[in-house]
Amino acid sequence: MHWKLFATLREATGHQEVAVEIEEDATIRDALDALLQNHPELEDELFSPQGELYNHIRLLQNGDDPFLTGDGFDADVGPDDELALFPPVSGG
Amino acid sequence: MVALDLDATQLDRYSRHLIMDAVGPEGQQQLLNSRVLCVGAGGLGSPAIEYLAAAGVGTLGIVDDDVVERSNLQRQVLHTEADIGTPKVESAAAFVEAQAPDVTVEPIERRLTKANARELVASYDIVLDGSDNFPTRFLLNDVCWLRGTPLVHGAVLRFEGQVTTIDPRADGPCYRCLFPSAPPAGAVPGCATAGVLGVLPGTVGCFQATEVCKLIMETGDPLVGRLLSYNAAGMTVDTVEYAANPNCPVCGTNGIDSIEEIEYTETCAIDDHCAGGS
Repeated sequence: MHWKLFATLREATGHQEVAVEIEEDATIRDALDALLQNHPELEDELFSPQGELYNHIRLLQNGDDPFLTGDGFDADVGPDDELALFPPVSGG
Repeated sequence: MVALDLDATQLDRYSRHLIMDAVGPEGQQQLLNSRVLCVGAGGLGSPAIEYLAAAGVGTLGIVDDDVVERSNLQRQVLHTEADIGTPKVESAAAFVEAQAPDVTVEPIERRLTKANARELVASYDIVLDGSDNFPTRFLLNDVCWLRGTPLVHGAVLRFEGQVTTIDPRADGPCYRCLFPSAPPAGAVPGCATAGVLGVLPGTVGCFQATEVCKLIMETGDPLVGRLLSYNAAGMTVDTVEYAANPNCPVCGTNGIDSIEEIEYTETCAIDDHCAGGS
């Protein structure tokens, strides 16, 4: 599967798309762990000091919010899935 | 059916619109009859105001309380060196009056606040958000949603821009479905601290002006429920779909019916006690 990163997250990693290898029964948590293993610099961008995904960071799985429609971090991820992570920006 | 009232000069001025099937005399008349509020006459507002005026949007409200500074001129093409120290709404109005005699400009030299937002939004058909801070953006989302006024959102940072359209009439998602609250201070920097490629708001403001024209003429597929991300460094455009959140504090089942209790500071979060129609 692959991750798509936007704005400050793209800048932090230098990549807009990051492909990661996952097991057959992988979850979003596994895919996120694989992403963080490749790009530990994202840890501070995504998670609060308490380890919670920041409220202002949006995670979408093939355009759907797994926290609304599924099992959140426990949702299944397939090899063809696209996961997106993005923050809002405010400049004008 | 829109009553057509184009004179000979207008038939000439807008001829490239008039020959398009998707615009035609009726679409042009819709543009001329429309009232659009541009919040901000800066990087995003500059191209948006220029193109909306050129397109013949009949009334352009421009709200901004800033004066032109030299550091604005790298991207804010409405203003010139001679305008430094002048209120932005004044130089914007002067530009539009010279460019587009059909357009009535309503310069509003005020900061959009919780106290005046409802009154300002109320007299326009569509709002274009060209502001430069999260509190104004969340305030506009909430006010426009409650009022039923379409809002075209655009924002930029360094090499990247975001555009989405919120259309309460379509019952589509709102900005808080995408981002329930703003980042804590410093988590996502603004242009003043992180910079912005001067051309970038030109592109993004034009995306916004395009959306406004489409909404006025009721043509094409607006970015409702879609966030467009433009990366000028990679020269890529990505569109990510997002759905309405049934628990959204604004447009969800138990959403707010007033902005009275919301503090538009820091993260602009809506507490549970504000929602639920209290």
